[in-house]
Amino acid sequence: MPSATAAPLHELVAGTRMLALVGLAKNTGKTETLAALLREHAAAGRPVGVTSIGRDGEQHDVIDARIEKPRVQLRAGDLVATTGALLRASGIAHERLSKTGMRTPLGEVTIARMSKPGAVEVAGPSAAADLRAVGEEMLLLGAEQVLLDGAIDRRAASSPAVADGLVMATGAILAEDIGEVARTTSDAVDLVRLPVADEPSEHVALERRLVLTAEPSEISTLLHEHPEADTLTVDGALSERFLEGLLAARTARGERELRIVAGDPTKVFLSRRGPRWYARQGISIEVRRPIELKAITVNPVAPQSHSFDSAELRDLIASDIQDVAVLDVLSSSYLALLK
Amino acid sequence: MPESGARPQVDLAKVKPYADHLGDGIVQFSFTLPVPYGLAARKAAQEWAAKMGFEHPEVVHYQELTDGYTYFVMFGESNQTVDYASLSKEGFEIEYMSEEEIEDFARHQIGRPIVVVGAATGTDTHSVGIDAMLNLKGFHGHHGLEGYKAFQTHNLGSQVPNSVLVSRAIDLDADAILVSQTVTQQNLHINNLTELVEMVEAEGRRKQIILTCGGPRVSNELAKELGYDAGFSKGTYPYHVASFIVRELAARNGTGHGASVADGASAAAAADA
Repeated sequence: MPSATAAPLHELVAGTRMLALVGLAKNTGKTETLAALLREHAAAGRPVGVTSIGRDGEQHDVIDARIEKPRVQLRAGDLVATTGALLRASGIAHERLSKTGMRTPLGEVTIARMSKPGAVEVAGPSAAADLRAVGEEMLLLGAEQVLLDGAIDRRAASSPAVADGLVMATGAILAEDIGEVARTTSDAVDLVRLPVADEPSEHVALERRLVLTAEPSEISTLLHEHPEADTLTVDGALSERFLEGLLAARTARGERELRIVAGDPTKVFLSRRGPRWYARQGISIEVRRPIELKAITVNPVAPQSHSFDSAELRDLIASDIQDVAVLDVLSSSYLALLK
Repeated sequence: MPESGARPQVDLAKVKPYADHLGDGIVQFSFTLPVPYGLAARKAAQEWAAKMGFEHPEVVHYQELTDGYTYFVMFGESNQTVDYASLSKEGFEIEYMSEEEIEDFARHQIGRPIVVVGAATGTDTHSVGIDAMLNLKGFHGHHGLEGYKAFQTHNLGSQVPNSVLVSRAIDLDADAILVSQTVTQQNLHINNLTELVEMVEAEGRRKQIILTCGGPRVSNELAKELGYDAGFSKGTYPYHVASFIVRELAARNGTGHGASVADGASAAAAADA
């Protein structure tokens, strides 16, 4: 879809005050995406704020030390929320603006403004609510956009309670078969873009314990007690166990179309099957608050393993996903866009 | 004979390994190459070590492991140094308390039983780590958290689904969750560890529950990346975990100093700013 990809990342995410970057796995190129966005903001002279729910910009991967990681390059005037020890280790001049009281295994999170350009390792708050709070603070301190980096495959940073928009990173690391990479990405996009539920008038609010423990007998009882109910609502985590239990219980009592409404896509946990599969079984999953997916970035290389042709992978992913640009920020076609 | 008297001065801002005399930079290391045993293999090991930056790489022992694989023991000299002086000020040393001190601290700062729920989650069948930390018996003569008056422990065992662990933790109004994971080669367990954090977030409890993980390959760096409050690795005794939990809980309640790493690091950093 050349028409969909004909805009650089910073244009696609323009207007998003707080942007989450989430990868579908490690080494899907999330930090490269962050680095590309930082370069584009730098070129335009826009001050940004950066933090990470995990840890980013470290020289070597914490799980596989053979993998060299891109650094997080900041400009003078950029804001960052990371630990005091990492600020110090960067060796780059900076001004410490506030201590947050948020403790992490690598130290307390501090908000600083860079006085000189350079690479900084970023380890921000571990809790989503804290991530939002430091993001807000950096906006107040003058950041035009705050970039919230996810970690591994964690999605919490992309919750609408935290961020206003999402850039999703996917890549060859997901599978050795290119079609499988596209399918997994497609499932993940379906999950992020779950339809928004209209306010259900009649519904059964599920008890937390029932949804989490998903005992088959209790699920059967639930369906039996509410023979007419077609909408179930969940406040917290919607586990795959529960959905599987629901399918099993329903089959036993004949076909019945069901709709499950969760808070937002980050509260829905699917690892084996995507939302479309459940929809085909007559279980539609919807959410109260959506996530705005701004772009998908692709890393066609799986470190220490295999790689695909970037354009082929992008086309394959784009063929199944509507209205979202699929980019490879290191490809020559993308770099040509920036000229 | 070495001279009697004071030990030689070490520049802690520039330390490097030594073997025969201080500052020689000599390192002994061992590894395997997937090549058949022979002189070409020996040469390959030397070249690899040279590429790693070792000077005067020397193969002191090599042997065939199995067909097509050779195991090496080598010496080499490294010129790299690390600034231990700065690192030691970052507060990475956790100040551990003894069992009596923990009980005393909990009685004064917390004043109620601290509820800890532990499990080996997902497909992990190894309960030995969680048992060592939680069960009365403990290990190496240090009994587990169950043996402390300060703690009320619930060991859910192994192969516990994340959703079930989260459900139990909420039902029990847990102060802390302790998960044990034996991280595998394929890093499958990594995704299992992140799923737990995400579920706790989805239930809106992340700020209320102290999340800790442990396993042979868990470090504080990994714990941070995964979104945990602390990571415990090899060499951890129950009192290490207990020290962390009581301090962190007190810090969250605003009744005590922050747990471990965090305060030391920021204090050192602030002093430096």
